[in-house]
Amino acid sequence: MHLAVLQADFHDIRVLRSTGRSIFIDNGQIEQISNNFTHGTSCRALVNGSWGFVSSDDSRDSIHLLEQAVNLASQTHAKSPRKGKGLAEVPQPRLHNIPAAHKKPGNVPIEEKVEMLLEMHQRAKVADVTSTSVLYSESELVVEYRNSEGVEAEYSLTRTGFAVTAVSSQNGNFQMGRRSKFDVCGFELFDRYDAPALAEEAGNTAVGLLSARVPKGGRMPVILDQELAGVFIHEAVGHAVEADHVVEGNSILAGKVGSRIAAPCITVVDDPSMHRYGYYPMDDDGVESVATTVIDDGVLRSYLHSKETAAILPGTGRPGHARSQGLSRPIIRMSNTYIGNGDSGLDEMLAEMKDGIYLQGSRGGQVNPGEGVFQFNAERGYMVENGELTTPLRDVSLSGHTLDILQNVQLVAGDMKMNSGTCGKGGQAVPVCDGSPHILVSKALVGGSG
Amino acid sequence: MSNDINEIAGLAERALRIAQQAGADEVEVFGLTGRGVHIDIQMDTIDLAREGYTQGMGIKAVVNGAVGFSSTNDPLRLDDATRNAVRSARVRENDPDWKGLPAVSEYTTVAGIYDPRIADMDIDTCIDLALRMVDGAASVNDAVPTGGRFSCSGSSYLILNSSGVEMVEHTSRMDGILDCRSGDDNAVSTAYEFDISRNLDIDFYTIGREAARQAVASVGGVKVDSGETDILLRPAAIADLLESTLLPSLSAENVQKGRSALAGKLGSRIGAEGLIITDDGLLEGGIGSARSDDEGTPSRTNRIIEDGVLDTYLYDTYTAGKDGVDSTASAVRNNYTQTTTIGVRNLMIQYPASDVVGDMRRGVLVGSVIGAHTANPISGDFSVEARNSFVVEDGAIKNPVRSMMVSGNVFQLLHNITGAGHDVRRLGTIIAPTVRVSGLTVAG
Repeated sequence: MHLAVLQADFHDIRVLRSTGRSIFIDNGQIEQISNNFTHGTSCRALVNGSWGFVSSDDSRDSIHLLEQAVNLASQTHAKSPRKGKGLAEVPQPRLHNIPAAHKKPGNVPIEEKVEMLLEMHQRAKVADVTSTSVLYSESELVVEYRNSEGVEAEYSLTRTGFAVTAVSSQNGNFQMGRRSKFDVCGFELFDRYDAPALAEEAGNTAVGLLSARVPKGGRMPVILDQELAGVFIHEAVGHAVEADHVVEGNSILAGKVGSRIAAPCITVVDDPSMHRYGYYPMDDDGVESVATTVIDDGVLRSYLHSKETAAILPGTGRPGHARSQGLSRPIIRMSNTYIGNGDSGLDEMLAEMKDGIYLQGSRGGQVNPGEGVFQFNAERGYMVENGELTTPLRDVSLSGHTLDILQNVQLVAGDMKMNSGTCGKGGQAVPVCDGSPHILVSKALVGGSG
Repeated sequence: MSNDINEIAGLAERALRIAQQAGADEVEVFGLTGRGVHIDIQMDTIDLAREGYTQGMGIKAVVNGAVGFSSTNDPLRLDDATRNAVRSARVRENDPDWKGLPAVSEYTTVAGIYDPRIADMDIDTCIDLALRMVDGAASVNDAVPTGGRFSCSGSSYLILNSSGVEMVEHTSRMDGILDCRSGDDNAVSTAYEFDISRNLDIDFYTIGREAARQAVASVGGVKVDSGETDILLRPAAIADLLESTLLPSLSAENVQKGRSALAGKLGSRIGAEGLIITDDGLLEGGIGSARSDDEGTPSRTNRIIEDGVLDTYLYDTYTAGKDGVDSTASAVRNNYTQTTTIGVRNLMIQYPASDVVGDMRRGVLVGSVIGAHTANPISGDFSVEARNSFVVEDGAIKNPVRSMMVSGNVFQLLHNITGAGHDVRRLGTIIAPTVRVSGLTVAG
């Protein structure tokens, strides 16, 4: 090893090889088939608390890149000195129970894939649907990782998924329905899920929304379905417990470990070892993945940590949540995040709420973790009057404050489901899953018409 | 792959030849090489310095009008990738709407899009500029930076096609963003400020100072009454909303495929009198400027909305061929791993300027929004949370607003624009002033 590299307190090297293919069917025509092969290396070095990082679209010259990373770290430390707390010590990772691709996507003839997607198009195109699109993607990622603490590991992951969007229109009114499933698995994804039935659901949603109304805005009780409650917990809690935000003083949950922050019926877990879309066997710090219980019966127990933040904030959780998109720097991310099952049910919630709204599906959300203010958007919903579902609703957004709304969760059902998605932070997108049972929130701010 | 554009050009020519030998009627090769630096700020020190090198190639093969695409950054895989693109094109049956790739054209050079001092900036200078943002924030009492980033990059790319197009362009880009926090446990407030440019003209100190000032000004706040009100959308807020709600409907592809509310509206009034929206691929120093779009069609200036009337959609070569019009040079791509899509180059929102704050008797000023990407991209309906927002009374900015949702529809919003400020800002590929809108609904 060269002298420069020995000056670093820590270094690691990641080599990635990624093969991917996507098929895009638009209005029943193959719009495009894309193939991608990329490889690359990233090297990281820590010198007295300052990081240097170098990435290159090449997988052959890591020693040179590593030296450059050490130099960057030293230069940074000289210009902007800081006191590092080092990195938390962790056991050597054991890579085990990695999900296999039972039907390797590369072995499935392209004609079979196209046939499935065309069937999805047909099923999505119910009456009044004017446009459909179906996207399929498959990828295989091989990760080689080694660091100065003696970790040397290699694993590969296959990810497969589809998304179908239907657009309906009537007299200048346009509405949209979307369904998607992405998992860590091979082409058996299509055995796990009835993709054509989901495509038909997307079509029916788009058409149903044509006659839906925008609700009157204001504060009211809401029931969230599993998908929307999953997005809620991701936005309202998940980002605020990412320890980099906590360290930066940019989280409303700073200093709150051990405090009650939610109603006692709320338990929240982030579990990267779960075989869902947010899965990884070890994180990009070289730490074996384990589940972290974030909130236990309403009490904040842990933040999500990297090795660096776990050393800065000891006693607030374990590392294992550092992830990167491709060759980017690892930052703290969620994986598979969910609210644990309670013992209520949708019927009980409707009876308990009497008047309010019931919201289903998600078009995503966003949070400002420093203020604890978040927004998320439902795909569809219903007015609830005297415990009965009445007028269909569209374009319903909710906003709220993390510390208020967590206290307002009144009931949690026992029907947890997970949904795959993509989460963006710091310019990086990573695969995640969110999940929850149905939940009843006694008061939330709903955006709508006057 | 090499970081020398001449070597990339050699590989691109090779890919073009191989695709033709494999039976492609037409071929387009996009090759890119670039270097980028990021300096990540954590609180008031530098957390990480990153230097990254990227290079790669995307190959589009056309057989009977059907398109196949491959990309790679490994020269050893280039031949395979190219043949794969041709094979993928053969899976699809003929496309009678395909009219061919762009032909050889004259290009106009755009000034101010490449500065070697940015492309080759040394790390020490990058760190100094990043720390200027921290200094700016430190000049304001009662606010601290939480995080931020300085970035600079230089790229060279080429577009080569079987119709003889050979376009090489060099660009540079620099940007800075800083987040600040103010207040205490009872009332905490955050704000960010940023700037993006292709030139060495960013005042990093001001970015930090303004982020800190906004954070301080936003602490605490009052509740607003629910209902309709006049709203001033600052440049970042209007740009964020338009990007998610209006831009998808301007794409000729969405119009042709039945997912644009602007279908059939050419020549119709879709916005307020006096509203002009232009997309200009030739804007000096523009973030979306280059001699050509990403298919090699010469860049041009397109009037999209003229005095409130819709003049044109945004076209790439394929959609233009289908409608029998010229491409508006609106094919854009993020990197070599993807094909082009229809997008804006430098979209400018113009409306007669006035003192919109001074003229407002009662309303709300919205600094930024969260959740714009959750809007309905076809119907244009949105419902977002407003941040860094203030009550405006009798021509003056008063109390901050604590929490407020703003809902509406972009196609109504365009009709309800009643004013614009003098504060035109370049926010990447959208250039806009503060815009005054009536008839939006707020829920507080």
